[in-house]
Amino acid sequence: MAERTLMERLFEPAQIGHMPVGTKIVVYSLLLFWTAFVLFPIYWVFITSFKSAVDVNSGPVYLPFIDFKPSLHAWKELFVFDWEDTLKAYTNSIIISLFATALSVLIGSMAAYALARIEYAPKFGSILIFVLSMIAAFVGVGVYGVDWRLACAVAVAVFFFLIKALGRFYAARLGNGDILFWMISQRILAPVVVVVPIYMMFQSVGLLDTHLAIILTYAVVNLPIVIWLMYDFFKSIPIELEESAQLDGATRLLTFFDIVLPLSKAGLAATTLLVMILAWNEYLLALFLSTSKAQTMPILVAAMNAGERGILWWNMSVVIVVMIIPVVVMAIILQRFIAKGMLLGAVKG
Amino acid sequence: MTVVLNQITKSFGAAKVLHELDLEVHEGEFLVLLGASGSGKSTALRMIAGLESVTGGSISIDGRDVTNELPKNRNVAMVFQSYALYPHKTVGENIGYPLKIARLGKSEIEDQVRDVADQVQLTDYLDRYPRQLSGGQRQRVALARAMVRRPAVFLMDEPLSNLDAKLRGHMRAELKHMQQQLGITTIYVTHDQVEAMTLAHRVALLEMGKLQQLASPKSIYDDPETLFVAQFIGSPPMNVAKGSLDGGVFALGDDRIGTGKSLSSPDAVLGLRAEDCRVVEAGAGKIRAKLYANELIGDHTLVTAETASGMFSIKAEKEFDAPMNAAIGIDFDPEKLYLFDGSSGARMR
Repeated sequence: MAERTLMERLFEPAQIGHMPVGTKIVVYSLLLFWTAFVLFPIYWVFITSFKSAVDVNSGPVYLPFIDFKPSLHAWKELFVFDWEDTLKAYTNSIIISLFATALSVLIGSMAAYALARIEYAPKFGSILIFVLSMIAAFVGVGVYGVDWRLACAVAVAVFFFLIKALGRFYAARLGNGDILFWMISQRILAPVVVVVPIYMMFQSVGLLDTHLAIILTYAVVNLPIVIWLMYDFFKSIPIELEESAQLDGATRLLTFFDIVLPLSKAGLAATTLLVMILAWNEYLLALFLSTSKAQTMPILVAAMNAGERGILWWNMSVVIVVMIIPVVVMAIILQRFIAKGMLLGAVKG
Repeated sequence: MTVVLNQITKSFGAAKVLHELDLEVHEGEFLVLLGASGSGKSTALRMIAGLESVTGGSISIDGRDVTNELPKNRNVAMVFQSYALYPHKTVGENIGYPLKIARLGKSEIEDQVRDVADQVQLTDYLDRYPRQLSGGQRQRVALARAMVRRPAVFLMDEPLSNLDAKLRGHMRAELKHMQQQLGITTIYVTHDQVEAMTLAHRVALLEMGKLQQLASPKSIYDDPETLFVAQFIGSPPMNVAKGSLDGGVFALGDDRIGTGKSLSSPDAVLGLRAEDCRVVEAGAGKIRAKLYANELIGDHTLVTAETASGMFSIKAEKEFDAPMNAAIGIDFDPEKLYLFDGSSGARMR
């Protein structure tokens, strides 16, 4: 064997399947760097929550007990003096994100399953007529002051009359792909655009600053994500499994609960986790829809930097630390479902 | 139980994939639907199963019209090409699933599952999951699941094509034995003519959604009605040569072959099976040819010879040997040749 140069010894494996020393050094330093990059902010928030005002303001200190003397004053302030406010925001956040996630995953996965397994072919012209008659009804109510019940009845009648009369003159149809894209496009719009109409809507029905308003809004906002993710997931379940169950005598409902649902555990868990985190962290919509009673954690955090005493980094850090905990717990609970290889052995030989 | 297809058609949009198919499957019969991919054979099977809607015509099983019956009410069992085993259920649960849906008692299910598992030698694997089984074992689980409820009809969609060649031969024999023992009417879809020939009581050959011929393996081989059937069945495929027929004499290049029939046609096709041909010395025999290749198969040598109208395959003695490009003659018994119309492909007798 020829003498190996230094570069060869560093970057070419001596044996197939082994990682050369040089590569190892490069790879692990990159990984180490990235780990520090990701974990440092969390560490920083954690130690800041134990710092006194002096420690924060007099320049950076990194190591508790060495650089600075940790104190519980911020924790005390939040959990002893402001106990009620903190607890309220915390329970609000938990209630809202749990219910919003449940609602969103329930409706979204049913919609996704329907889109994955049933061919829809609505006529484009019929949709157009429907939208036009709705607009007409709105204009009638809003501009001309027509009674809304009357306007709705007329609009529905006109819609059915028009599709009967004109239906045979247009043939263009939309497919499942178009419906799916329409769903996703709802998420492309920035929430800022719709926040004012949403605010006015809930104002007019008197639901501002309630759990229900925020739950409904979050559920709707996250629906496209659930549908998108679960659609892909249901699509990946071989249809033969469901056909086989049908031939074995199962009804559609039984097939869904016996075959489809157990096989979608991983997808459902991942989707639930994602939606829950989105709902947990949401700020903008909560800012508009809640004033005091329904305030959530992100609002509480943001409020910390608006006090007359300046930005209270230590208090903010405490809130952030407690805010991270439920997400971590959820991730640990759901993580075991997000295992790979669920479908192994189903159809491949 | 008998299965009767009466003028069955199937269209997907404008594409007609099945043309007025008439088929009567007798009690206890093993009927093979044979055809290339896209011939409509799988569609026909799925229509019998109820997994595909019927565009026109009717299907009845055991004298009962099931055209619009749900799959679960047809009392048919299906074995899918992909096996379609439920990956989250054990082998025992997979086999017992139809019985569980039929709400049989727990001990009864266990007894019957054990019974079928014995028949397909799976007794030791009942607690395993499909992913822990080999291809052949998965195949047997699928088979057992179909057998366990003693259906009126077995439907099999290329059940052996995911297995390797050796196992396929073994399972083929097992399948034939099992079907004979159970005596259950079986409809079996395959593109493999060897499977069709070895398993079937009768073969239905489909092409482009049309039934080409329905006959026993022996008569479909010995007495093909069209050129398509003649070329589809048999390995190597039947040798064909284009030429003209004049008063019973077939003109192939410069050769004149007496057919013993008084037929005339300017555009005719002569067909000859490889095993009906003999290689003889140049100048002797009925067709002049040039040796193209010799392949020793084991029990015989497959000779490929170049004639004035394409290649001919000839089964020769295994000791046969001759240099490449040598001039040879091909001889045969005129009784053994087939004549087809050149344009329609219909058999000329």
